[in-house]
Amino acid sequence: MKYLCLLFLMITAVNNNAQDHAMHDMDNHNHEGHLHDTMVDGKLLEVNPERFDNFIAELEGKQVAVVSVSGMVCDFCARGIEKTFFKDKSVLKLDVDLSGGKVFIAFEGDKNIDFEDIKNKILSNGQNATDLQIIKI
Amino acid sequence: MPKRYHKSNIWSNRCFRVNIPPMGIKYLYAFFLIIGSMAVESRPISYSGGSTLMLQSNEMQNSTYYHYSPTYKYSLGIESVNSQYFNEDYSYFRLTYLLNRKNTKNSQRNLYFQSGISSDGLDHYFYGVHGDWETRRLFSGFSHKETQTQTLNYAEQYLQLGVAPYIGEYGDLHTWLMVKSKHNELIGDWNTYPVVKFFKGNALMEIGYTDASEWDIHLMYRF
Repeated sequence: MKYLCLLFLMITAVNNNAQDHAMHDMDNHNHEGHLHDTMVDGKLLEVNPERFDNFIAELEGKQVAVVSVSGMVCDFCARGIEKTFFKDKSVLKLDVDLSGGKVFIAFEGDKNIDFEDIKNKILSNGQNATDLQIIKI
Repeated sequence: MPKRYHKSNIWSNRCFRVNIPPMGIKYLYAFFLIIGSMAVESRPISYSGGSTLMLQSNEMQNSTYYHYSPTYKYSLGIESVNSQYFNEDYSYFRLTYLLNRKNTKNSQRNLYFQSGISSDGLDHYFYGVHGDWETRRLFSGFSHKETQTQTLNYAEQYLQLGVAPYIGEYGDLHTWLMVKSKHNELIGDWNTYPVVKFFKGNALMEIGYTDASEWDIHLMYRF
């Protein structure tokens, strides 16, 4: 019986969060100025805005590769991405946006960013890179 | 052509996040040291070139398992076992192979083959499969393992279901509430009990408790 109670609490917690999200979506707030309104090479840049803002602080003149990754569902599994990319001396900074399924990688402004190389590094961690957007800061 | 981005945009954070105050990874380290020896079936393979230390303690055994992953497809390792059931110590040379993985934007599904040969001899070994499917909110996992020793053969199975009460971001403390149902032919009936799992950074801790088998503890650190 106690396990059923525990399961009920879990389901309730999930349901409450889903309702919160639904309420937010129904809210009439203004989305103007949000990052998802920004277009990069004709595509929307869908990232966690706050996280991205923090990431690009002090990266003036650098390039940021925003990599879409599938299968990146947990923090613990994404740790290898950080470890793999930091073996590359040209990587200045890296962060993972789990909610957007993105990896942000900062390079020097004149670095030629190779999507195949990025794909291979992501694959070596067991995930798949599906898209790349490059932004000059 | 890369687009130049101006930071002057002001955004609102649309993500729903709960930032748990950092407990401090040092506490996890301390817990590692206190608990002593304990192997986790989850995350059995690391990233290419990565290695992992796993500790496990339950009613059957205490074990320490260290593995290295030449690629993300397999890992090789050594597990030192202190069997409370057989009252003996031995080691396993272990291989785990990723049979199948399906990555989607919001989920990952894995199926692994696991095996080990004991330092006792070639007539003591185990093999089996285990798998998991998870999103950022939900987790499900299973395992089936057959073990043969010099004196007897037995099978172990488990099923595990979990839910994350909040969605943490990269670097936060992540929490999972789970229910695990485990069966070992040596012990008898299926045993179902609650499990909580925490992870932060490279450290993971999973603790279950049941009146029947008492503590089931898994600790892991990824290097």
